[in-house]
Amino acid sequence: MSASDFQSVGTETWRQDGIAKVTGAEQYAPDISVDRMWFGRVLRSPHAHARIVEIDTSAAEALGAVCLTFADIPKVKYNERIVSTPPCLYRDRYVLADKPRHVGEAIAGIAAPTEALAEKALRAIRVEYEPLQTIITMDQAMRDGAAPIHDTIRLMDDDIPIEHNIAVARTIEVGDIDRGFAESDIVIERKFKTNRIYHAQMETKTVLCRPEVDGGLTVWASTQSIHNTRILLGEIYAIPLHKLNVKKAALGGSFGSSIQMNSVTPICVGLALKSGRPVKIVSTREEDMYDHVRYPSEITLKLGLKADGALIAGHMRADIDIGAHNIQAYPFLGCMGGFWASLYTLPNLKYEGRAVYTNKTPSCAMQGFGAPQTTFAVECLMDEIAADLGLDPVQYKLAHYVGLGGTFWGQGPASKCIIRSDGVPELLKVGSEKIGWKNRPKAGSGSGRYRRGIGMARGFHTSGVGHPKTSGAEMIDYSGAIVKVNEDGTVDLVQSLMDHGGGTNDAIAKIVAEEIGVPAQMVGISPVDTRTTLYDVSTHATRGVYAGGAAALKAARKVRQMLLDQAGRVLDVLPESLVIEPDHELGQGVIHCPNLADRRITVGALAKHMQINSLGTIAAAESLRQVNCPPAYVSYFLELEVDTHTGQIKTRRAVLGSDCGTVVNPKLAAGQLVGGLSKGHGYALIEDNHWDPETGELASKGFWVDGKTPSMSESPLLDDVETHFAHTFEPTGPFGAKGLGEAAGNPAVAAFANAVHNAIGVRFYEVPITPEKVLAALAAKQGPGAPARPEEPVADEPRLDPAPAGE
Amino acid sequence: MNDRRVRFTLNGEPREVSVKPNDLLLNVIRDDEKLTGTKYGCGIGECGACTVHIDGRPVLACLELAVAAEGREIVTIEGLAGNGGALDPLQEAFLDNGAVQCGFCTPGMIMMGRALLDETPEPSEAEVRDYLRGTLCRCTGYASIVQSVIDAGAKEAAAD
Repeated sequence: MSASDFQSVGTETWRQDGIAKVTGAEQYAPDISVDRMWFGRVLRSPHAHARIVEIDTSAAEALGAVCLTFADIPKVKYNERIVSTPPCLYRDRYVLADKPRHVGEAIAGIAAPTEALAEKALRAIRVEYEPLQTIITMDQAMRDGAAPIHDTIRLMDDDIPIEHNIAVARTIEVGDIDRGFAESDIVIERKFKTNRIYHAQMETKTVLCRPEVDGGLTVWASTQSIHNTRILLGEIYAIPLHKLNVKKAALGGSFGSSIQMNSVTPICVGLALKSGRPVKIVSTREEDMYDHVRYPSEITLKLGLKADGALIAGHMRADIDIGAHNIQAYPFLGCMGGFWASLYTLPNLKYEGRAVYTNKTPSCAMQGFGAPQTTFAVECLMDEIAADLGLDPVQYKLAHYVGLGGTFWGQGPASKCIIRSDGVPELLKVGSEKIGWKNRPKAGSGSGRYRRGIGMARGFHTSGVGHPKTSGAEMIDYSGAIVKVNEDGTVDLVQSLMDHGGGTNDAIAKIVAEEIGVPAQMVGISPVDTRTTLYDVSTHATRGVYAGGAAALKAARKVRQMLLDQAGRVLDVLPESLVIEPDHELGQGVIHCPNLADRRITVGALAKHMQINSLGTIAAAESLRQVNCPPAYVSYFLELEVDTHTGQIKTRRAVLGSDCGTVVNPKLAAGQLVGGLSKGHGYALIEDNHWDPETGELASKGFWVDGKTPSMSESPLLDDVETHFAHTFEPTGPFGAKGLGEAAGNPAVAAFANAVHNAIGVRFYEVPITPEKVLAALAAKQGPGAPARPEEPVADEPRLDPAPAGE
Repeated sequence: MNDRRVRFTLNGEPREVSVKPNDLLLNVIRDDEKLTGTKYGCGIGECGACTVHIDGRPVLACLELAVAAEGREIVTIEGLAGNGGALDPLQEAFLDNGAVQCGFCTPGMIMMGRALLDETPEPSEAEVRDYLRGTLCRCTGYASIVQSVIDAGAKEAAAD
């Protein structure tokens, strides 16, 4: 089957929330206000590591504010991301810090009738700190005698001591690497380092909480899972879930930073409970930058090969700086190992990962969850090996990648599946042709100021965390959906699954329309909350369409059968003789018997018949866990231009390919790839964060421009970016679909690094590849004595650097 | 601080509001006028999410004092669609091109794009990229947004 066989799946439509979003009507958490609402602010630690000797809130309270301190909060140690199962859930935090462990950590909350008063009261709180040793690097953290950032953490019912600030370590072994390396003809080892970038989602973390008269709460929050937010708040504040309602608000970007319940959410709830008032907290951009960053990595990768390049053994050691809290280091380390094992066939491998506490902003998931880091190391080293062996990297990778029939580790050792759809050969063939791979220059052979180079990388992300086992899972992974037919034949899709903006909810509405047999525009996405929906774990791990869509498909299938059964009675034919098809002119689904032309009724007429004859509503509520986690492959072919005078790197052409199975929303799917390139560009070339080694403050001081989010003016031109999709069909996915979102950026960093190598003949093992690093590398390459700049000041060709307008 | 009365038109309607001398236009639009399409993204002019039009010129509402609005004509994203809810060609182009993902930057992008189209009908790609360079988007990679502004310009030129 292909997209052309479908009526709704694969068609172009305006996204259902589109008109609201282009007119400003869409409601994100910061846009929601309620009557009698107070404003919340958070007092944050100026110290990276300290003991709180005393907090005096009397002056703030005298101003009319309500204060929340450690003394007020339930002493429940929790992990804010309850996607992992309890045996894998490392709990190290309270609603407010028992001691601050990073600059910006929440010490106290304030609520007041106006924002100005809340701010004034915040400044009136007096805190006496006793500063402790500030630990900024992993080396410092693991040194003997280093101050413990956490003495113990909770795991199940136990207090687990933390030694040398190592939050968790994980080893994965397959085969026997000692034997493997002994049998290798060539051994190569390289060290790689990736940066600690900021998510830079447009919406800062926000929460509004309204206490209800029955002792319950209504909460609106930035979140990727309304149900997990509810469950966790229920556990912390001992509120029964039927009295705790979390409402879905549109999410203004997240990229992984709201898989966890964000730190302001339980503070706001505490303030609302104490004050008896609705309270709203909107994080400032500075606060947000101190709240979450991507996991950085230091990877040592050693590969053993036969003389022909066949991979025999591999050893990867990865150290991850998790900052002040362990949000999800255990699954992260597992994912890195699993993604590595899934890139190329390695009969003997050993992965050793360590996650290390430091006094910095906590790290958390960001688009790709270990895949961008792992893929950077592996794809760069494969490129280097191919070059050393005189092989074409594309052919070399094609010969050894894990594809059809191989095993894919979707989320570490606990979620694996056999690969049943594989678009890699098509992606690499088409990508090679479009970029002109065969004609790429010899690495570093260019001359002149501007040097062009072509590089490629491939990768993937999982589609969800599905697996077949009934116990021993590391992660929770299921979705629910309610599908009901309205009295005019339209359909409500009632599902708690969040859309980050990629069009997940629209894709699922199309899947429901396709299954029932009604036109796509007849399926509406309902505004929802936790009270009226089935559980959904979270929109993460690129599981939205594959797992969430499959749950909705299951409900839609049941609805379709109910429609056929009811129509059979009305039309006096066997249900098995009927089909349902969309009639786009009529704007209805039509149920008819192909053998008897007069037996025909629209879904709307049938639903109306059922209503006026009191025959009931056609609806189904279903939960589903996928038992597979298929890889969504992506390929990057880039042509870059390095300015050897300034060290700046420009993307001149990009060919981005995706194997997401059936493409459900074509333009939005292409948009995911282009967005992946943009974030990949920032990650590979410009973005980073630094913390002052003495004070633990962000060097950017919370200024966003210092985080260097790519802007429109430095992004590649329209004609220079091309997207394409593999013609595959995933047999376990809804109408052949698998994931796409996170995969879109996963090979980006490696592709940039490989293309830079092709351009100037220098390999970079550390990102971002900043202009300073490029110039230093070029100078080192030329040796001492060489002129600081190559003699060729004139631009090779017209360039698009528009003069600043009106200045 | 003493409140001041400020009179301006907001999306074509005359308004008279009481503001503090240090109240930001963004807060008056969002909190007092309940027009929440204009977004807070950074509060210090780094992201462009709060862009509105004042007397036809794009302005960052997070950097503008509300008292400076005296006697001026303010248009927010809510005021862009015509009477009866007909979308502006630029809004339509955003939907046609899939230029909306999370949508949080969308109002600022559209207000900035509209200002460009009003100044420079049928802008080139370079002009679009330059004019909108201060408005950040983390989802789209900008290509669909650039295309939307170009398309809307071409469509408006063809209709003239």
